Amino acid sequence: MAQFTKLPITRLVHPTKFSFPRLVRHPFEEENVFMATAEMPAVARRWAGAPFYFNSAAHLIRIGREKATNLAELLEALKVCPDQSIFQHTFQTLREHHFIREGFSNDFAHWAFSACNEVGLAERLAGIDVREFTSIATLRQRLVDIVDAYLKHNPRARERSAFEPFYFSAAEVIVIPTPFVARNLAEFTDGIRQVSLHSIHYHFIDARLRLKLNSNDFSLWLENELGLGRLADRINRIDIYTSTLHDVRRAILRIVESRLG
Amino acid sequence: MSEGEKTKPEATLTDNGPGGTGSTVSAPGVPEVERRQRPRPKISTTPPAPPPPPKLDDYAPIIGKPELDDLRFLARQLRGKTVKMVNSTAVGGGVAEILNRLVPLINELEVATKWEVITGGNDFFEVTKGFHNALHGGEYAVTQAVKDIFMMYTEQNRQRMQFVEDLFVIHDPQPAALIASKERNRGRWVWRCHIDLSNPHPEVWRFLRPFIDQYDAAVFSSPAFSRQLAIPQYLFYPCIDPLSEKNKDLDESVVQKVCDDFGIDRSRPIVTQISRFDRLKDPVGVIQAYKLAKKYVDCQLVLAGGGATDDPEGAVVLQEVMEEAADDPDVIILNLPPWSAIEINALQRASTLVIQKSVKEGFGLTVTEGLWKSKPVIAGAVGGIPAQVIHKLTGVLVHSVEGCAYQIRYLLTHPEYAAQLGKNGHEHVKENFLMTTNVKRWLLLFQILLGTTRPHPPEEG
Repeated sequence: MAQFTKLPITRLVHPTKFSFPRLVRHPFEEENVFMATAEMPAVARRWAGAPFYFNSAAHLIRIGREKATNLAELLEALKVCPDQSIFQHTFQTLREHHFIREGFSNDFAHWAFSACNEVGLAERLAGIDVREFTSIATLRQRLVDIVDAYLKHNPRARERSAFEPFYFSAAEVIVIPTPFVARNLAEFTDGIRQVSLHSIHYHFIDARLRLKLNSNDFSLWLENELGLGRLADRINRIDIYTSTLHDVRRAILRIVESRLG
Repeated sequence: MSEGEKTKPEATLTDNGPGGTGSTVSAPGVPEVERRQRPRPKISTTPPAPPPPPKLDDYAPIIGKPELDDLRFLARQLRGKTVKMVNSTAVGGGVAEILNRLVPLINELEVATKWEVITGGNDFFEVTKGFHNALHGGEYAVTQAVKDIFMMYTEQNRQRMQFVEDLFVIHDPQPAALIASKERNRGRWVWRCHIDLSNPHPEVWRFLRPFIDQYDAAVFSSPAFSRQLAIPQYLFYPCIDPLSEKNKDLDESVVQKVCDDFGIDRSRPIVTQISRFDRLKDPVGVIQAYKLAKKYVDCQLVLAGGGATDDPEGAVVLQEVMEEAADDPDVIILNLPPWSAIEINALQRASTLVIQKSVKEGFGLTVTEGLWKSKPVIAGAVGGIPAQVIHKLTGVLVHSVEGCAYQIRYLLTHPEYAAQLGKNGHEHVKENFLMTTNVKRWLLLFQILLGTTRPHPPEEG
């Protein structure tokens, strides 16, 4: 845990926040605009209560039993496929196609568009933001609801053959440690710069399911261990659907470096 | 093109370029046609010695050090484990080509891996070739004699080979029945199927399936190629080696020299299809698309491949291609020998667009090669191609000559869009279709099967 007493009192704009629970708002938050440049190096050197261990993840794809040749079959398969399949076709596809900025929010949306030519359904499915979901069950239900509602309004689309089948698959994930550890903001920046994109995906996107929070590992650590809640918020707002993972890395660095001055 | 052939004639350059000197291209069984010919390309008549296989660190500039660190971490957990890979040929064919690179890399990671090849007489390989074709949907009579030949050679190989490793990877149907040795040891067994099993001959599949069911896992190149099996099935996309002769970076001077040798004008757009002269690759359709596009945009068309020298049907298709090209000096047709990896690499790198207008395809590694070279790719939506070419994101998919023609026009007149497709395509290959990605997949599968790790569920609780 960070030692509050070691910090110069001039940093504090809202001293009353000292009494706030730590996980809600750190007292020496960086919204102190006026303290900016002169204090920046100190922010970089501030020691975290606990270090941040950068991990990565490797994925092996298992071919699933479910297959859909039309939207009615997709709906049924969505209801019964394993959780790992929902994970694979939503969270994981963002990793596999991390270099694409547009049009690839999840595999179901892409298939509805490219193989079924159901643009309306594709748009609705593409509108799902996986960041809002902290459990596979609720994400699955949202997918089922969208397809079900669409087919009720468009019954002729139910049995129309897709141009190519949708094959469900599932990811088996193995977490891999990396040599990078951050104990302050400077080391964190260094880690972000050097780790693989798979590590960025693991901490920034996969993390939501692990944490069961609408947050990510980076933001949580910055807020909890360094008291940089606003920085954490700004990082959490990076749009993963209009950015590649390279862009995400660059955006995190830009946000952190702007804080460091 | 198959590797290892040593007595092929020199490459034949066939086009109607203005610098042509007039000569003929002959094909067995078809009439000779008068053609003008550019100066003969300087290609060795014998295969060059293969370069030494790359080391793991050689891949660092391509995939990055963190990715290599991941491989080393995964391998460290497998130290002390032993693996045996078995297939049916040491040279020639895609599987041998992959194992030639894969096995040294896994060994360099200190996971002791042996590669062994089964042996058999001509009768055995005639049977397995029949099986191979039948598993692709062809006809084949599985008589008792056929079964006996298959089992006799399998038994001979079982007696000859030792099965003392921790893990066995058996490639394709030829050695599949070696699984009978499973009873004798504690190892785990994987069947790596490189062929499309979606529509197998029922009788052949009925014969082979009991063997497959005894494996601990199966690996396929595409979900579309798999079957419903009781054992877990994993997806390993085919891959290319970015350091192979066909895919490594080339000096600009090499690319220029190859183009000069072949009479290709690099100041004008170059549209290229690399493939055997085979109707399933639709080379005639490519020329028709080029002709339609050429009404609007200037370009040259390069059709380069092999198969027209040793395959009577390939020679016929080459003749059809030449007739379709007629006297157009901008259609450059190259019948290359099997050891033309550098030339193919250079042609792909010199291209403005890469086409693979197949009407039937396996995975389509020429597509992977084009994408790796950051080229905008126009490809038929068949086989494994849609896994590589995500329409309008990593390339464009087409279903007709007219569609292909339109995309040639569009991409040649929208270079920024074309460049973005090429950039995305390169990243797609880097993420999913490189040799190092497959090394990682194998290490993961070994870990899972040997119980050295437990996969994390996607959600806690």
